[in-house]
Parts: sequence; structure tokens; C-alpha cells
Amino acid sequence: MKYIPVMGLEIHAELSTASKVFCSCANDFGGGENTRVCPRCSGMPGTLPLINQNAYTLAARAGFALDCRVNNYSAFDRKNYFYPDLPKAYQITQFEHPICTDGFVEVCGGRKIRINRIHIEEDAGKLVHDDYEGVSMADYNRCGVPLIEIVSEADFRSVDEVLEYVEQIALRLKYAGVCDAKMEQGSLRVDVNISLMPYGSEIFGTRAEIKNLNSFKSIKRAIEYEIERQTEILESGGKVVQETRHYNDNHGDTKSLRSKEEAHDYRYFPEPDIPPIFMTDEQINAIKADMPEMPHKRLIRYTDKYGLPEDDARLIIADKALSDFYDKAIEVYPNYKAVSNLILVEVLRNLNDSGISAENLQFTPKSFAETVKMSENGVISKNAAKDIVKILFKKDRDPKKIAEENGFLMNNDTGALEAVINSIISQNADIVQSYKNGNNKVFGFLMGQVIQQAGKSANPQLAKDLLTKKIMEQEG
Amino acid sequence: MKLSELRAQLDSKKIGAVELVHRYLDKIQKNDSSIHSYITVCREEAIKNAGKAQSIIDAGKASPLTGIPLSVKDNICTENIRTTCASKMLENFVPDYNATAVRKLIEQNYVLLGKTNMDEFAMGGSSQTSYFGGVRNPYNTDCVAGGSSGGAAASVAADLCAAALGSDTGGSVRQPSAFCGVTGLKPTYGVVSRYGLVAFASSLDQIGIIANSAEDAGYVLNAICGYDSFDSTSSRASIGDVTEKIGADIKGLKIGLPKEFFSDGINAEVKKAVMSAAEFYENVGCKIIETSLPSLEYAVSAYYLISSAEAASNLSRFDGIKYGHRSDEGDSFNDNISHTRREGFGDEVKRRILLGNYALSSGYYDAYYKNAARIRAQIVEEYNDIFSSCDVILTPTAPTTAYKIGFQENDPVKMYLADICTVTVNIAGLPAVSTTCGYDENGMPIGMSLVGKAFDEKTILSVCDRFEQEFEKLEATI
Repeated sequence: MKYIPVMGLEIHAELSTASKVFCSCANDFGGGENTRVCPRCSGMPGTLPLINQNAYTLAARAGFALDCRVNNYSAFDRKNYFYPDLPKAYQITQFEHPICTDGFVEVCGGRKIRINRIHIEEDAGKLVHDDYEGVSMADYNRCGVPLIEIVSEADFRSVDEVLEYVEQIALRLKYAGVCDAKMEQGSLRVDVNISLMPYGSEIFGTRAEIKNLNSFKSIKRAIEYEIERQTEILESGGKVVQETRHYNDNHGDTKSLRSKEEAHDYRYFPEPDIPPIFMTDEQINAIKADMPEMPHKRLIRYTDKYGLPEDDARLIIADKALSDFYDKAIEVYPNYKAVSNLILVEVLRNLNDSGISAENLQFTPKSFAETVKMSENGVISKNAAKDIVKILFKKDRDPKKIAEENGFLMNNDTGALEAVINSIISQNADIVQSYKNGNNKVFGFLMGQVIQQAGKSANPQLAKDLLTKKIMEQEG
Repeated sequence: MKLSELRAQLDSKKIGAVELVHRYLDKIQKNDSSIHSYITVCREEAIKNAGKAQSIIDAGKASPLTGIPLSVKDNICTENIRTTCASKMLENFVPDYNATAVRKLIEQNYVLLGKTNMDEFAMGGSSQTSYFGGVRNPYNTDCVAGGSSGGAAASVAADLCAAALGSDTGGSVRQPSAFCGVTGLKPTYGVVSRYGLVAFASSLDQIGIIANSAEDAGYVLNAICGYDSFDSTSSRASIGDVTEKIGADIKGLKIGLPKEFFSDGINAEVKKAVMSAAEFYENVGCKIIETSLPSLEYAVSAYYLISSAEAASNLSRFDGIKYGHRSDEGDSFNDNISHTRREGFGDEVKRRILLGNYALSSGYYDAYYKNAARIRAQIVEEYNDIFSSCDVILTPTAPTTAYKIGFQENDPVKMYLADICTVTVNIAGLPAVSTTCGYDENGMPIGMSLVGKAFDEKTILSVCDRFEQEFEKLEATI
């Protein structure tokens, strides 16, 4: 029998706030163990949580980024369970009244993946295992780091849909300034619920949940492994068990963590230490008004309005800073395609070579746009434009001055060029005749001779036009 | 002596702060062994702080509580002074932060005499569940002091401090005050910051004051109240100077007597004393209105479900990992914390944790926690109703007077039902003050409670003071 995978995702994203969600400790990554802890986030007796308003704003922004409804009323609950990295033995989360509900993301050419909810919660600490000493130690630095959990419906039917969804969510959260989405640092983590359904059926099978996938590669491999595992079970007449599974990146397989019977009863109840949050329509609308254009909307603008090829547009949009740079550059010089081309060819290459990020570009979009414009207007050659970009990467300067100083300005002196061309034609009478007889291949040779004599600054287009004209004028 | 008089004596140098603190410390040393109201006495710090207070008084910069010796219940965090919650679990726990209420007292340069005994984690009404041994009643040391702030009430009644901070989750300030013949004030929820009060039931807990009079209680409340950015449930509403109306005419004031509080479950002597207080108020020109709180019969159940659910969660953090008792037993984390909690908590605390977790378990949540929350909303409504025609409500503080130690502490249901007169005030978040309105045939004090509208501490203190002015109090025998 053939099976279709049915999947749903829970994505945890760390919010890019300056401080933690319920105290004023810094929200950072790395550093020594237990260097960012205080009585509040380590849950010392008598301490109380204080909601970080900015976490709330960012969660609402995430909602708008994913086309959710941002609710006026939301409230926190406690999720109770014992674990050494959870110092209060409960996690403050939103269970009954999440901040955002009912969103969606379109993947793979229009399949709508519904988002059930986005809620705010606090992260737990980390256990550091010392196998040599045979001890585990708790590091509470991550305790209280603000997270949002984005819960989808079980709408995925292929790995590609899952990957594109995660990619889009990561990008949109970055665009919204909600999360830096660095999966390798754990700021975006994915849980996949997966079950198999026979072709033609509409009844979902029993699902397994794979926890904490932190790269696209592991998401793909974990899903593929799980499809294979569940298929084998079903083919051999067995039953898939509802359970939580852990993906092992070294082995590329998943192992059972706990079964349904062992599942926690989290004993949720309303968090009495934090009053429910009420946001007025005005507050919600103000957050909405402050939202930047989302990448999927930007893609439509670039392709439909600017006529960029979709692949080109995606490449630029994949980096918000670069895309913002492009938008500013085309304000100065609205030749969409030309600006895009030079970004894709030269800026991306220099970014890669230098290892700097687009946010840290040394030059202004204006300098860049003017470079493109000079090139398009025949003031400099295309190659000279690339050279100017290289120079701009070191320091922002007026591109015209750079062109002047480096002799990039093209020679548009028709008289001088004509003299050179006349001399080349008379020196190569045979070849000219051969061209006139229909041997087009030799034209390049003649052009090469012209440029060689006229110098690099000669305008190649002008030279080409003149050469053609002069040859045609020859009697023959 | 009233706190305002003590203030005057300190300011006029009739008495020195150090002399005053020595007087209390000596008395604690001499008498506390018979009532065990303190868990920790801060002798050296108290003397040092009294010296500091004196220099501030000498500089003419005294605040209302500068140099005034107070006791603080041992579930309120005090920096560098162990805060045990009367539990083995926190026997050696020394916080490195102060509760906001304590910080405010320190800002006034008060003098902390010590940390008072209580029921373990404030769960109980007898102060017999303390890991350090129970508190005895200064009126009769064979009797309980009430609880959970039994040490606080006993310390005031035995004159082992000028006034005390306690905490009240379901009557824990008012009931021991009634049993020990002193005045206990539970402010409106949110008036005193809960930051640093080791949580029992967060939606019900409130720091309160036990003192010799309503005026004194108000005097201390003025110092510790106010919005605190450290507590999200702290109120921004200002209650003003709560002693402002003390001494004002209360003629024409409408006092409601909800009939359910005078049912058969209430001891006859208690009823009689409270009714004669009602008569007193009628005689001074108040209007007595019979009224009703129909949901009272569900209140104890609702209270124990909500408070135990919150307690189960609040007390989960005591796993022995970072602080507190840790068992040597157990090979795995789960095993180890099971041992830790089994060894660290007393029976009553375990009972509440079990009850709370049961009420929150999937499949039971709707039947228990949710229904309790519904009753809570209903009680709030019924109080609103009463206050649409009354200014204050008069009830007994407890169904009985202080009973003999060992009489009913081992019968949980009996103990829980004894909270009937006090829990609705916490459920509705209202302010209430208990004061002595008589003595039973054995000379044990009888308490009555005046319940006010939210944030109207002024009126209940004024009404309470009016009675205290005329009432002849018997001193504790100790």
C-alpha cells in the first residue's frame, strides 16, 4: 500500500528582545554558565515574574508576519512538570488564550498551511552533562528567554512543503525583527508531528512527535527516516505507537523518548502572578502599521512590478538587508533589472569573498545606484562598474570620482575613434572584405584591434556602431 | 503603647531606640520559650539597627517607623536572614533579597527583632505544623495561637514586638489575631506587594499586619503599601493615609450582617459577642442591615481547591537542586526529588500538594478547579451586591475561640471548615480587619471581622477603632 505523510509543525522561535521575558537579565547567546541569572529567572522563593512588554510586541509582530489575528485579550498559564533545567518546575506559557490565532503560510505554489496559534512562553535552562565526572549540571542562562511557539495544523503532505514553510517562517520572522532565526544557535527549533495515511483515505494515522530539530538537513532526514519507519511498521501489519521521539543527527534516526502513557499531565491553570493582558485595537493597529513589507509580498513586487526573474528576486529577498539595499538603490535609479544584475553578480560575490554581511555594507545604495547608472548610460563599461563595486566595498566614495581617478570613463570622442577605425580598416582590407562577403566571425577580430588601439576607455558600443557603419560605407 | 505614642517618645528622647530594642529582646529571651512565637531572633542586627535608627532620630530625620521594633513572619524574605517558612525544606535558606514590604520598612529604618513562627508554608490555622514546633497562645499556653501567622499574633499579644507583619491567604492574619486577642489587618489584594513573600496561593496571598490596635495596623500599612513594579498584581490605586478616618464620626454608616455567618456552625459565645458588637454600633448611630452571602456554603471547598492548586504549583520549585533540603537518597533526578520532597515537607503541606494536583489533573480540572473559579466569581458578585447597600460587613473572625493544642489539628476537614468566616474575603480580594470583641468563659479572646469595599481600608479601620476605643481589653497572662 502507498502512504501519504501527514505532518504538523511546532516551531519555537526566540524573540530578539534585549532582556528576558520575565526579568531584566540580558537575552544573549553563549558566555559562561549561569552568568545571566537573577532571583526571578532562577525562580527563587518569593520572586515574581514581570512581563517584558517588548516580548509582547514582538509576538504580535510575528502574528502579523504570519497573517494571524492578534487578539485583544490574552493570558498566561502554568505548565507544570519537574525537570532540573526548569527551576520553578513550571513553565509560564499561554494555553487557553494565546496572543495570536488563525494564520497561514502558502507553500509550493499555493498550498495553504494553516497556523492554529502563536503563543508566548519562557525557555528553560540547559543541562550540561559531564560524562567523565558522571554528573549533570544546570545552566540557567537560557531560563526565561522569551519564545514564541508557532503551531500549524496537520496540513503538510510532503517534506518539501515542510522545508519551504520553515524557510518562509524563518525569513518572515527575520523581516519582522522578531527572531534572528539562527537554527544552529537554537533560536529557531522545530518539532514535527508525523503520521501516515493510506492513499485515498482521509483518516489520519497515529502520529509520532519528533522533537527539537535544529537544521533543515535534520528536519529532512528525520522526516524521511520516520516515513520509512512508520511505513515498515504498517506494511508488516503493525501499529504505530503514539509517542515522542528524539532525532539523532549522528545516526540519522529517531528513538523513542516517551510513550503516550508516559506523557506528562501538565496540569495547566491560569498563571496567578501575571494579570491577563488586554490590548486595545489602537495598540494592535499601531503594531500592524509598524510592520515592514513581508518577503512573500516583496517577491510579488519584484517579479510582477519590476519584472525580475523569480530566481533573481528570491536571491535578493533571502537577505533582508540586501533587499532593503536594493529597494533604496532603485529609488535613486529605477532600472530594476540592471540594479538587480549588478547586485547578484558583484555585490553577492564580494559579500561572499569578504565574509561581511549585507547589514554592514560600507557604501550607500546611492553610490551603488549611480555606478549602475553610469554603466547603463555608457559612461563606464560593465567591467569598470564591477571594479568600482570592488573599490566601494573598501570605502564609500563618489563613484564618478573613482571612475575618473582610475581612467574608467569611456571615451566618447567620435573623431578620435573614427581615425582609429579608418586606420584599422585600411590595414586589414582583406579581412574587411571577407566580413562584407558574409564572414561575420571576423568582426570580433576587427573590434579587438580597434579597442586595442583606442584604449580601454573607448566606448565599446560606440566603437561597434562606428566600425559597422564605416565598413558598410566602404565601396566594395 | 500606641505606635504613634512610641514614635513621640523616641522623637522626644524619652526613650532611646537601643534601650527600646533591648527591652523587647530581653522580654523575648525571658518569655518566648513558653509560646515559641519566634523561629529566628536577630539580636545583633536588631541592636545594630537600633543604633543606626537612633542616629537618624538624633538628626531629626525620623520616619514613622524609625527605631520601631517589629517582627516579620518567616515566609517573608529578609536579605541575609534565613527565611524558613517553618519548613525543613527551607531550614537553612538565606535569601539574598528583601521582600518589597521589608525593603520599605528598612527605608524607614525600622528594627527587625526576628522572624516569627507559623504553620509550614502558611498552610494551617493552628501554627502547629511548624517544623520548629508549634506556637502557644499567650492567653493560655495550652491553647493554639491560631494560624498560620500564629507566631506573629502571639508576638504582638505577648508584647514581644511593637507590631508584626504576617500573611493572609485564607484568614492567616485575622484568625490568629482573634485567637490571641490582637488586631489583624488583611489589606485589599494588590495593596501590599507580594514580592518576596514566599508564595502559597498567589491569587489569594496578601501581606497583612498584626498590631495592638486598628490605628497601629494602619500606621504600619501606610509604610508598606503602594504600587510595586516588582509585582504585576500590585495595584496602582492609591489607598491614601489609611489612618485618616480614625476618630471620625461613624454615625449613619451602614453595617451589613450576612446571615450565613451566624449559622449553627458558629459557637454561641462567639455569636453573642459579635451580636453585642453590632448592638454597640447601633447605639453609636450606625445602621445594622441583615444581608446575605448565599455562596458561603461553597466557599471553603472553592478556597481549598484554588489555594491548593496554586500551592501545588508554587511549591514544585522546592526540588533541592539550587537551595533548601536535598535528600541523599535516589539514583535519578525523579527519584532524588521524590525523596527530597518526602523528607522536606510536612504532612499538611503534602496533603495540599496532593489535593491541588488532583484538582488540576486532566479529566478533573473542569469538575474541580473550573467550578471553584466559578464559585469565586459568584462570591465576588455577591459581595458587590452587599456593598451596594452597606459600607462595611461585620462577621465573626472564627467559629470558635482558641482551642486546646491537639484538639483538632489532626482532623483536616474540621480544620478546613474552621476557615469558613475568613476565606471569602481572600476569594474576593477585599480588605478586612479583625479585633477582639469579647472573651469566652475561659477568658480566651473572641474576634470579629469588619470587611470593607476594595481599597477602602480607611473605613474599616475607622469603624474598628471606634469599637476598640470603648472595649475593655484583658491583657494576655504571659
